[in-house]
Amino acid sequence: MTLATETFTFVADLVRKRSAIQLEPGKEYLVESRLLPLARHAGMTGVDEYVRGLRAVPRPVEYEKVVEALTTNETSWFRDASPFKALTDHVVPELIRERPVTRQLRLWSAACSTGQEAYSIIMALRDSAPELSVQITATDLSEQVLARARAGRYSQLEINRGLPAKMLVEHFTRVGIEWEVSQQIRRGVTFSRHNLLHAPPAGGPFDIVFLRNVLIYFDLATKQEVLRRVQSVVRPGGFLLLGGAETTIGVDDAWERVPVGRSSVYRLNARRAA
Amino acid sequence: MSAIGIFDSVQLTAIAEEVFAAMVDGEPGLLLPWWDGPATVTDPLHAWVDLHASYTGRVLLTTDAATADDLARALLGMDAAEVVSEADLVDAFGEVANVVGGNLKALLPEQGKLTMPLVSRQPPSHEGAFQLDEVLLAWRGRPLVISVWNL
Amino acid sequence: MKALVVDDSRTMRRIVARILQDLGYETDEAGDGQQAIDLLEAGEVYDLACIDWNMPVMDGLEFVMAARARTDWRAMTLMMVTTEAEHGQIVRALAAGAHEYMIKPFTPDAIRDKLELLGLIPAEETV
Repeated sequence: MTLATETFTFVADLVRKRSAIQLEPGKEYLVESRLLPLARHAGMTGVDEYVRGLRAVPRPVEYEKVVEALTTNETSWFRDASPFKALTDHVVPELIRERPVTRQLRLWSAACSTGQEAYSIIMALRDSAPELSVQITATDLSEQVLARARAGRYSQLEINRGLPAKMLVEHFTRVGIEWEVSQQIRRGVTFSRHNLLHAPPAGGPFDIVFLRNVLIYFDLATKQEVLRRVQSVVRPGGFLLLGGAETTIGVDDAWERVPVGRSSVYRLNARRAA
Repeated sequence: MSAIGIFDSVQLTAIAEEVFAAMVDGEPGLLLPWWDGPATVTDPLHAWVDLHASYTGRVLLTTDAATADDLARALLGMDAAEVVSEADLVDAFGEVANVVGGNLKALLPEQGKLTMPLVSRQPPSHEGAFQLDEVLLAWRGRPLVISVWNL
Repeated sequence: MKALVVDDSRTMRRIVARILQDLGYETDEAGDGQQAIDLLEAGEVYDLACIDWNMPVMDGLEFVMAARARTDWRAMTLMMVTTEAEHGQIVRALAAGAHEYMIKPFTPDAIRDKLELLGLIPAEETV
């Protein structure tokens, strides 16, 4: 099985333009193995033939499938432990202290991929603040990952990525070679398709937004646009949690940086938002 | 009860793919279903584990000795020129059988027990046993057969 | 940081030890639970032990119970690393005193994630 050079160049170019992700030479096997199911589904015998077809007649829907097949990656449960620690040790106690009568929290897990972040949040808060009723709106651009997130089923390798064993035995059951997250946890999360550059999703206003490892892919103007839209559905004094390499500083001054442990969270300036 | 109907070749393939992606290759896509017609293993090496529950099953991996050598090199982080000792070969191939067998065992509705892996150039005796399933896979383009038996 | 890798397969010991060394650990190896006990009795001190379940002489579950019975070994974090993948087996291991549980097969990233959860390496912010 050898992939034609022009096939690889075309696919790498398409993926780079649509996702900012770079497929270096040497990743031919990845293109081959990830696109083979698409090729076979399209009735072709191989990836070269399939991609030749795409180059001859541009088909945006098929392009989207190609990009998705190559950019969907393994996600950890408590990916980078620090945001979850910030959530349970600082953000939620702070919100409870300020609004003692509130027993409800609304969260938005943006660019949620296959759902591990949203489910992790629910599991963490059931331990740290069991008295709270937590509702999460989890969104992604891709219907394919949303379908997997809703199903709540994960492979052994996905389960091994940062899910504490105590939470595995408490909240999951084995179904064949996969593990399924319990109804009780799934009940707290609503998944829907959403583009960060469009009007914010239903389910707000939100107390806390997780928007992690997304802004890094955008230019400054797009970052500002995304943050402006997020701001419009966050309650005054609400929190924003970003990825470790991301910040609102120099992008949008409506947010105040709050250092928590080794990381930072961002808080919507109450006066400005009012 | 018997093992019939508990394992299917789709699950067997998925488990093997996970084992190779995670532990042997460090990335997916190098162990795939065999598409290129019939495959022949000419210099076979066998690794197997038995699974004891209310019946006895066996998971058997068969590949060419040279392929098993490369499998051991990949697992042990050796380069292509290094000579694989017999002890390393037996241990590495046996451990692959052990991990595949362990993950299959978890599909049983009851708690079973796995035996220590055995590796041999001679296939194990399958007198009175019958084959439940067999998948033909290609690891880096070379054949690897995984079969499941009811003993 | 020092870790003990307990597995009857030398292949698996080498894989786990390499991953831990890349994360900054010094490693020792033991081929079964009894060998691990012997090292500890001889005065070796470990921050972490990665323990296979099915081993000859003394299996991983017996080792975990023996280790947890010793107050002077309390500082050692115990993580099962095993092909035993049933829900009930994980429950058993945690009840016996294991702190974490990793099912084989695993990737180096999966080990790093677990150690991060256990506070045994600084959290790495990924981009």
